[in-house]
Amino acid sequence: MSHVDGIWITGVGTATPLGHTYDAFADRLLDGRSGIDRVRGFDVAEHPSQIAGQLHEVPCPSGIEPAEFAQLHRLEQLMRWCCVAALRDSGWWERRGEVRIGLVLGVGAEWLEYWEADALTGGRRVWQPENDTESMIARTRRVLDLSGPAVSVSAACASGNVALSQARHWLDLGWVDVCLAGACDMAVTPMALAGFGNLRALSRRNAEPQAASRPFDRQRDGFVMGDGGAVFVLEPASTARSRSARVYAEVAGYGARSDAFNMVIPSPDPEPATAAVREALRDAGCNPGEVDYINAHATSTPVGDIAEARVLTAVFGDDVHRVPISSTKSMTGHLLTAAAAVEALACLAAMEREALPPTINLHEVDPECDLCHVANEARPAKVRVAVSNSFGFGGSNTCLVLKAV
Amino acid sequence: MKPSEDQSRARSRSVCCEAAADAVLRVNLESLPELRRNPGPAVGEPLPASFLKHADEQTVAGLGAVYRAIRAAELQATCFRDWGVVAAPRFLGRPAMAAALQRFAAEGAWGVSPHLIPHRSLHSISGTVSQALKIHGPNFGVGGGPSGAIEAILAAMSMLERKRLPGVWVVLTCLDPELPPDAAGHSAPGTQAVGLALALTPASAHTSRIRLQLVQGDSSSVPQSSAQAAGFDLLRLESLLHLLHAPRGGDTTIVQLLDAGNRLELSRSVDFSETRSMGNGRINRSPSVAARMSALTVGVENRT
Repeated sequence: MSHVDGIWITGVGTATPLGHTYDAFADRLLDGRSGIDRVRGFDVAEHPSQIAGQLHEVPCPSGIEPAEFAQLHRLEQLMRWCCVAALRDSGWWERRGEVRIGLVLGVGAEWLEYWEADALTGGRRVWQPENDTESMIARTRRVLDLSGPAVSVSAACASGNVALSQARHWLDLGWVDVCLAGACDMAVTPMALAGFGNLRALSRRNAEPQAASRPFDRQRDGFVMGDGGAVFVLEPASTARSRSARVYAEVAGYGARSDAFNMVIPSPDPEPATAAVREALRDAGCNPGEVDYINAHATSTPVGDIAEARVLTAVFGDDVHRVPISSTKSMTGHLLTAAAAVEALACLAAMEREALPPTINLHEVDPECDLCHVANEARPAKVRVAVSNSFGFGGSNTCLVLKAV
Repeated sequence: MKPSEDQSRARSRSVCCEAAADAVLRVNLESLPELRRNPGPAVGEPLPASFLKHADEQTVAGLGAVYRAIRAAELQATCFRDWGVVAAPRFLGRPAMAAALQRFAAEGAWGVSPHLIPHRSLHSISGTVSQALKIHGPNFGVGGGPSGAIEAILAAMSMLERKRLPGVWVVLTCLDPELPPDAAGHSAPGTQAVGLALALTPASAHTSRIRLQLVQGDSSSVPQSSAQAAGFDLLRLESLLHLLHAPRGGDTTIVQLLDAGNRLELSRSVDFSETRSMGNGRINRSPSVAARMSALTVGVENRT
């Protein structure tokens, strides 16, 4: 399938620990600010990890009844906020009835999060299957009056890239005229924080929350969970041109391969992830030497960051010491299902602001992660081609290539 | 500003694929431990006995259905390395979550199993199938709620249309009936875990296979509610596959209307001499061209 015309991003909506708008997110990202703090909202005294990048409040989009919005689960609030903001930003909100708008969102554990939230407020929804009649994505589609198909997808922490890829397919196939795509997660819950903590995947640097997420640093000890999401409006270049839309970037390439090794542990064989990155570059028609910035998956786990460094070395060869790389999870935390979408947003910010976001807390680079790090401070740079890696539980390895337009 | 009708029409088209294999597996929960230890004839290296130890009931049924589909279509020698996997569970992990909530209430943070999230999230079944079959193509979960069947088929067909994958496994799972778990989080007596597996491949001239065609409609002419489309779930697809496999000559075409005037057509051309048994996995196919004696529309719903 060729993307002769190109698929462009013309709108964004987001809420992250760094801010509830694209501008706020980009400002804080390029300032090198951490959105991580001690967890609030529930008791974490017995949790092994007590820190996270939380989203304490999701704003109610204008045009939606606040009282009704307040009744929604936080994940659904986030979906609504991001979708409405993206449609408004793109200029399609008022005209959404004129075109077939599809919806593809990365949503990894909707029902688990929903049942947990309900139970913690005294509900028994998990014991009442007869009441679970409509998914959040179906309801979002209905409430926003979208006429295209709607699908939720999950490749764990790579879900946002899968969603963008699916949306691109749908636009290519003509199934939709415009497509909302991205991912949302509100995973910082008592049970999820406990589950990941008991898996020994999380940082226990509880006394220094803002120093805890430190990808590629020798002192890293696990990832820090985060809440948030990002949703994009995608449309064919011809449509965007015809309406003189603001364009953020082209979704130029995508690659995906599975480890087929373990549900949780990354494969010691770098070949599947390497193949995913190469596939994405090939799909975008780019050589490794043309890449201006890599947003790494690097979550700050001892094993995962080294595995990714090996993958990048295999793909980029000598260029791995020239192409700037950073992990914005050092500031946002790991947004799990939403991570890839928010990191795609970080790439757009790098393109638009002509600056590379840093990996903060990177003071002593792990010698096994010998890459061209943007350490601790943003760096001015013209970014024409950005690569965003996202890997996930279930053995998923994905890579997205974004090109400036 | 709006895409013209001509532009939309030019970009809009139908897509088609076929099922190289399909199977449905229903397993009573009392039989689940045995299936968990041995989900079916392995493809390639045997799986470790503990492979599904922490997997959800739906995952066990889903992988079991995949193995049965492979055996029924005699695909044991097929290399699935570059295939994709799309899995759509329905309310995955409800019994486990009910139990976990009880334990969390009693024991606090240390009572939450580290296996809960990796094995009860939307990606869990696709990841497990990918690992079991040594599939290195993309794998991801789809849906998770009531309308996962059509979401999975949409995702798989769009992946196939890119022509880069030799095939995509679509795995649908649910508990049937879905009754409230007991206080300890055990499924109600009589519950079955159900897995349905479809091995979708690009359309070919292989006429005896089930073909799936997604046809785009004019959304203004055929109003269709989400509720009607949501009726297309695993159980509905199971009954449609049963109809398609019923021994009758000629063409069978089933139309399932979807949202926005779109529809999914499932069809099969069957030679009178063909017999098929899903029960014992035996398949006899005549090499002759299927006799197209009649076109039978089995399920056209809500035309008005």
